Amino acid sequence: MKNGRLFLVIVALLLTSLSSAWAVKIEISAPGEQEIPLALTSFLPMGPIKPEIAQEIDAVLEADLSLSGLFSLVDRGAFLSDAESLGLSSVQVDFAQWKLLGAEAVIKGGYRVEGDRLIIEARLFDVVARRMLTGRRYIGKLDEARRIAHTFADQVLLSLTGTKGPFSSRIAYISNRTGKKELYLMEVDGHAPVRLTSHRKIVLNPDFSPVGKELLFTSYKNGNPDLFRKEIYTGRESRLSHRKGLNIGGRYSPDGREVAVTLSKDKNSELYLLGTDGTIHKRLTNHWGIDVDPSWSPAGNEIAFVSDRRGNPHVYIVKLDSLEVRRLTFDGKYNATPAWSPDGKRIAFSRLEDKRFDIYTIKPDGTDQRRLTFGPGNKEHPRWSPDGRFLVYSLDHNNEKSIYLMRADGTGTRRISAPGGDDSHPAWSGHW
Amino acid sequence: MQSMTLTRMFILFALVTLLATGCAKKAAMDDSQAAGGTQAVEETQMQEQQISSVEEQAVSDVAVAETEPAMMEAETLVRKLTRIHFEYDQYVLTKAAQDTLYANAQLLKAAPALKVVVEGHCDERGSDEYNLALGEKRALATRNYLISLGVPMDQLSTISYGEEVPLDMGGTEEAWSKNRRAEFTLQR
Repeated sequence: MKNGRLFLVIVALLLTSLSSAWAVKIEISAPGEQEIPLALTSFLPMGPIKPEIAQEIDAVLEADLSLSGLFSLVDRGAFLSDAESLGLSSVQVDFAQWKLLGAEAVIKGGYRVEGDRLIIEARLFDVVARRMLTGRRYIGKLDEARRIAHTFADQVLLSLTGTKGPFSSRIAYISNRTGKKELYLMEVDGHAPVRLTSHRKIVLNPDFSPVGKELLFTSYKNGNPDLFRKEIYTGRESRLSHRKGLNIGGRYSPDGREVAVTLSKDKNSELYLLGTDGTIHKRLTNHWGIDVDPSWSPAGNEIAFVSDRRGNPHVYIVKLDSLEVRRLTFDGKYNATPAWSPDGKRIAFSRLEDKRFDIYTIKPDGTDQRRLTFGPGNKEHPRWSPDGRFLVYSLDHNNEKSIYLMRADGTGTRRISAPGGDDSHPAWSGHW
Repeated sequence: MQSMTLTRMFILFALVTLLATGCAKKAAMDDSQAAGGTQAVEETQMQEQQISSVEEQAVSDVAVAETEPAMMEAETLVRKLTRIHFEYDQYVLTKAAQDTLYANAQLLKAAPALKVVVEGHCDERGSDEYNLALGEKRALATRNYLISLGVPMDQLSTISYGEEVPLDMGGTEEAWSKNRRAEFTLQR
């Protein structure tokens, strides 16, 4: 049975080269349904032994691939002699050994340090078909083993499912570790957090540009909640909108050409579309109630948002051409922070139920509502990974705010932000 | 009486000066710790700080004696404006809030030179964005009521802090009801 499954995948992958639309239809991207037994061997030295490099690659690959939910990892303790062999071509791999252990796929690799360069060879083999599915040579700096491992994990998912993994992307978030709320950036597993602002006031609610390495956020730096734009690598920063009142919830359109935002320049919060020069292109809502929290459909023709126009806060959807508004949620007394999935098929949001916020998803037509989180604490601000496989969100529990990640079906929950501060409002970058 | 106020004023002024220089130093230290990527922005801030410290030295004693009492008086007056509270997810003024605002309006009308910011605040439950909008509604409802009581419009501006500046971090019903408020600060 198991063998048959991977065989199917491979047949499909062969067909992929003929018809790329076919690859998407292989539903092994749905976690938990069919786990591929994978043997993840330790990366071996191709020169002087550097155990810390091997350990880092192994740990990152194992964490990423088990988080994906696509694999059951074969027990390392059972590995036979081939795990110790540097034979990285399909003729050198002893597939019979891996078959004996029930593995359908095996990852092997090696590393070598040349001066200040790190060279990593990484390969994914199909045990049944006895062939290499993907092979990569990475050349980086000595401290880039972690980054290379994330990149290869992305490649493994691409090779097996037709959709690249999100592990080398970034998560922006808000933290008060300096005593003030500032903007931070970290890797998807919480490593390498960097503070990007030092406004020393209040910084809120980041969003990534889909095209450049750029972020939007709101800051009280100049006294008023203004919308800022910041280039991550140059540090260049400017105010995109500083109209009187609120300039909040800035969200780039999928093509990066416009920004949806909440402004209250006319004494009531309404949604607007701005150009990237900050000029108003269009007013989207016109209602005395509160209209906030825009989230674009991936097609760029609709925006989900939160409004109290019928009493309690609920999620609504506005069509951008006709400005026609339809109500999405009817249950619960407080629904907020909608986030449209990258494939357009679901909208995640947080709902107050039994005095607690939890994350739910719903189809854009209002059907098939599902609750994803349970347990103590308030879970808010869900945002999708660029491949739609995962959701990141903030948990407020025991007077501490921290950032969590889970699969899109609510399984595999893990904390990614480090203890020692309040971390909230995650935003997930596109592929980096 | 008068001499006492003068002494107090002097002490306060000294304290304010000390605080100001202290803050500037601290800020400068933070700059050096800032991530490399933010340097372009930080440089302009550094320059601004230097200019302001030069200005501080240039101020003469006479000028201080003339400006400070007005500021002090304004501070004292603003502190007399009582904050008001709101029900959960509401920006409608309660009877108690209206009574408080009536008293506040009399103070404001008696001091037409006093420029005040009405701050709207929320408890921490719910969406931050929604709370920013709700805080603004609270600030505007407060301002509009004061105007209806005859306070000149240009005396009052508004800002919303949403759930960002709570008075009580307790996370209890009592703390939340304290945090749902509009309060008054001096416009600078």
